[in-house]
Amino acid sequence: MGQGHEHQAVDAAEQSIITANSIATSRRTFLKAGLTGGLLVAVGGGWLSLSQALSKVQSEFVLIIDLNKCVGCRACEKACNQRNDLPEDKSFIRVLAKGEGQDRWFLPIQCQHCGKAPCEQVCPAKATYYHPSGVVLVNDKVCVGCKYCAVACPYDARIYDEHTGVVSKCWLCLDWVLGGGKPACVQSCLRGARIFGRRGDTEIARILASGRTQILHPEIGTEPGVLRYIFPGT
Amino acid sequence: MAEHHWGWLIAIYLFLGGMGAGSFMMAAVFELSGLRYEHDFCPTAMAGAGVSGPLILVGVLLLVFDLGAGLREPWRIPLMFTNFGSVMTWGIWILTLFLPICFLYGLLELMHNQPGIMVWVRKRLRLLARRWRFLPRLWRLLPRPLRVMPEVLPYRWIKRIVCGAGIVLAVGTAVYTGVLLSVVKAVPLWNTPILPALFLVSAISTGMGLSFDLAATLALPEIHRRYTAMPLVHMFFIGLEVVLLALFLIVSLSRGGEAAESARLILIGNRSVVFWVLVIGFGMVYPFMVHVYAFARHSHGFLSGILSGAGIVIAGLFVRYLIVAAAIPITM
Repeated sequence: MGQGHEHQAVDAAEQSIITANSIATSRRTFLKAGLTGGLLVAVGGGWLSLSQALSKVQSEFVLIIDLNKCVGCRACEKACNQRNDLPEDKSFIRVLAKGEGQDRWFLPIQCQHCGKAPCEQVCPAKATYYHPSGVVLVNDKVCVGCKYCAVACPYDARIYDEHTGVVSKCWLCLDWVLGGGKPACVQSCLRGARIFGRRGDTEIARILASGRTQILHPEIGTEPGVLRYIFPGT
Repeated sequence: MAEHHWGWLIAIYLFLGGMGAGSFMMAAVFELSGLRYEHDFCPTAMAGAGVSGPLILVGVLLLVFDLGAGLREPWRIPLMFTNFGSVMTWGIWILTLFLPICFLYGLLELMHNQPGIMVWVRKRLRLLARRWRFLPRLWRLLPRPLRVMPEVLPYRWIKRIVCGAGIVLAVGTAVYTGVLLSVVKAVPLWNTPILPALFLVSAISTGMGLSFDLAATLALPEIHRRYTAMPLVHMFFIGLEVVLLALFLIVSLSRGGEAAESARLILIGNRSVVFWVLVIGFGMVYPFMVHVYAFARHSHGFLSGILSGAGIVIAGLFVRYLIVAAAIPITM
């Protein structure tokens, strides 16, 4: 048995020498092999390194939106626009209308502050970064306005401002939040559909433990860190 | 939505980058294989050497023009070299290395083939040296091996090294333009490893279309009698492009959801005329048939050579435009 294996090994080695010789003799074959090899390495390497996202960042804050309570008044959107000096037609929050007639419900979408944020990964200038609290921020002094992040965001949460030439998005009103306050959208919500706090707060911990909260489109795999939704009927 | 963020400018850049890389590959293959020296005049190598640098430069300028703050405050642009996890950063590095190599190769080709130009340059330089005395002194400061005269440079060796390095970077350029899009999970149509392969084959095909079909037919129509195997090679790449494009669309259709919606937009949507007439008809079927005919007859018609080249180039542009424009992001 062992000899047979050895024999095979020697055969394989000879075979590889013969192959190597024929490659060396034919420059064109070599070129083709180089091209194909380069293609395989580039595609394979790129694919592997990018499909395995960076380690997940745990966020400190939680923003739960109870869609049973949301009536689609867009007060959050208006408060956000006012807070961030945004024009009417551009907003960090989009309120989508879902369902028909009696079953109508609303879905406000904004930056989910993903634990594996594609925007942070693709930004060539490292303008998008993680605040130690896990909130995803954009440094508008660094952003070059290539819009790759806006293309890469599955939640379409990024706004490109033609006047400043930078991309911006929800920053969770971090100045207020770190001072103990709440984001503008939470303060403005008329029905109390937005519940905001730290992960350890009793109210937040209770709701999270109830198992009613869900991530928006978890199958995308970006692992939203801050936003949690309570879908209608749950 | 993705189609609002990136538009025509990016599509044209992807096309120019691919075609520049492809025509460099053509020239480099001619150079490295020695085909280029079988005859005095090789329009394919000349076209590849002369055109790849300017094409990629225009593409890069379009990219810069598409920037927001980076365009107004260019000192921000160096920051784009910093995130090695971003495909865009990879691309910027590849282009930064590849672009000078393209121009260097163009210059070497010019110096090697047009000694008259070098004589002219030398004459001007001598006049300048007489006016400004510090120029010859500067020249004498250079280390001895660098002070060789252009006539005695070992051009073939230098070009071989430049082409060897350049062909790797050319493949890198073509592949990265596909990877740039294919890592975007937000656009299911793009998020497939078929896309880099399609862009690479399309780059080679458009490079051949430009520097062999178009440029060579214009400069030297009898070239097709010289390289009778060329139509076969070209048929192979057009065929491969059709297979990859079909695979890309079929896989997208079978994945359902937004990917299928995007594929339907290309196949039967409001831009489907562009796809079927310009890309498939004029850009793939027609050139394929021209090359079948050319292979059988061992010659190319002047007009059919130019038209098939133009068709392949136009197909390369519109394939990229359709793929950028048909990007439907994941619906929430």
